[in-house]
Amino acid sequence: MRTSIWPIALGVVADSLRRKVVYVVLVFAALLAFAIPSLPDYGLGVESAVFREVALALAYVTALVVTMSLAANRVPAETERRTVYNVVAKSVSRWEYLVGTWLGMFLVAGGAVAAFTIIEQVVGLVTYQEMMWVLWEGALGIWLEMGVIAAFAVAVSAITGPVVVVTATLAVLFIGHARGTLLGGEGALALQPFVPSLDAFNVVNPVAHGSGVPPLYLASMLVVFVGLTGLSLLVGSIAFARRDL
Amino acid sequence: MMSEHETPAIEIIDAHKRYRAVVGSPVRDAVAGVSIQVAGGCIHGLLGPNGAGKTTTLKMLLGIVRPSGGTFRIMGEDSTKPVGRRGVGFMPEQPYFPQHLTAAHALKLYAQLSGVPRDEIPGRTGVLLERVGLSGRERSTLSTFSRGMLQRLGIAQALINQPKVVILDEPASGLDPVGQRDVRNLMLALRDEGVTVLLSSHQLSEVETVCDDVTIMNGGRVAAEGQLDALLNVSGQTSMRVRGLESGLPADVAARAGSIAASGGMWVFSVPDEAVRASVDAIDDAGGRVVSVMPMRDSLEDYFARLLAGRAEEVTAR
Repeated sequence: MRTSIWPIALGVVADSLRRKVVYVVLVFAALLAFAIPSLPDYGLGVESAVFREVALALAYVTALVVTMSLAANRVPAETERRTVYNVVAKSVSRWEYLVGTWLGMFLVAGGAVAAFTIIEQVVGLVTYQEMMWVLWEGALGIWLEMGVIAAFAVAVSAITGPVVVVTATLAVLFIGHARGTLLGGEGALALQPFVPSLDAFNVVNPVAHGSGVPPLYLASMLVVFVGLTGLSLLVGSIAFARRDL
Repeated sequence: MMSEHETPAIEIIDAHKRYRAVVGSPVRDAVAGVSIQVAGGCIHGLLGPNGAGKTTTLKMLLGIVRPSGGTFRIMGEDSTKPVGRRGVGFMPEQPYFPQHLTAAHALKLYAQLSGVPRDEIPGRTGVLLERVGLSGRERSTLSTFSRGMLQRLGIAQALINQPKVVILDEPASGLDPVGQRDVRNLMLALRDEGVTVLLSSHQLSEVETVCDDVTIMNGGRVAAEGQLDALLNVSGQTSMRVRGLESGLPADVAARAGSIAASGGMWVFSVPDEAVRASVDAIDDAGGRVVSVMPMRDSLEDYFARLLAGRAEEVTAR
């Protein structure tokens, strides 16, 4: 079956690569990565753990900024500028357009996370003489979470503008990582199954302490990723298909 | 002219589009019961003032806007679904493209989206860029293109899948006179190749020059439709220009003639269509020389203006 998803995704990647924001964020993140070893010494044997924890936090923020800057305005801008007409008037389904757009963002986010992880590895190797391959497990968690975030943002952007997209996405991000706190009360516990948790992608502890993430947990991350991303894109596609452009 | 049994290339039946500006406000009909049939291999003009519903109708036909009602078919298939648009090319009014792409990259992208086989893309790209007058600009980024060049690229992307039906929304908008002529010639060439062209345009001279049939919309409805000759030749009169009548018009011709004017030895007048033969004979007998005999025809501009002012007869001539 012919699909237009891949050409649309590559178009998003090509468009993203010319955006300054991606490079600016990466450069600043890299500068900060080089500064991590200058943090206060917490004692013998934990320096590299602190480095990995801060490095993951930096990678997360970098990926989040890149993902949000791409996802918030892509569909609204294409609709506003009417470049979308040249796509959807062809034999291209609206869902193909939306999924292709998301896939492009997911690839860009992956590239940004990978680039930053390489920088962290180099800094780690130079400073602590460790290869720190475990950082890639953290990078995978961040990348998958960015995939979910991008899917949600693209779905919301199918029917609304960038301000609402950013607000709604940040709200989901906050709720997704604070579900236990927000719904910790006795009555609220019943709501937990209905509120998606993004904590599945949080692998800071095993990565920072160097033990690594068990394969079964990695597999469960993938399941959560597929479920949440698929749900977002499904709802977004249905909404986008009903929209007048 | 389409026979009864011929499948129309484009068929719109009882199209409706209703909008509600905000919740609680009254529903407004942007398009109300529009039906259009376009025969294969012809150029069909879609005319109307701003807000007539032309672009909304085209958008519904192409699945860009969801219809409130109606049936939309291109080459017999439901064109509101992606599969029904496989053999269709569309150029929107004032086409926009991702500015970072080059002309060749843009056409490659749209070729891929249209399902053009990978090995055919470079060849088609070169041919099309030449056809729309952009050869040599393959590697130029679109941010450096003028408005007219983007318009030409818009036509090229509409033709990248070698469509059987091409829908052009104001294709000559923003083009200089040479560009407008090129677009007209391109449409005529497409028709010669058997491609059906649906042309939405404000440029009445363009429509009058190239279109075989027209549909005129006003207020979301079809105000008139049919072949241009039938629409514009509403008077049933023929204009004659005659020289060499020193003694004036023959009496029997003068009795039938209207709008008589004489200047510099040239007589210009009109006679009913059925009296043309007798008038020519009478002028021959009187020693005059017939310079021209032409059916009297409104300009499309005059017809359009009268129609919108409510003074023209609504005509359906198929």
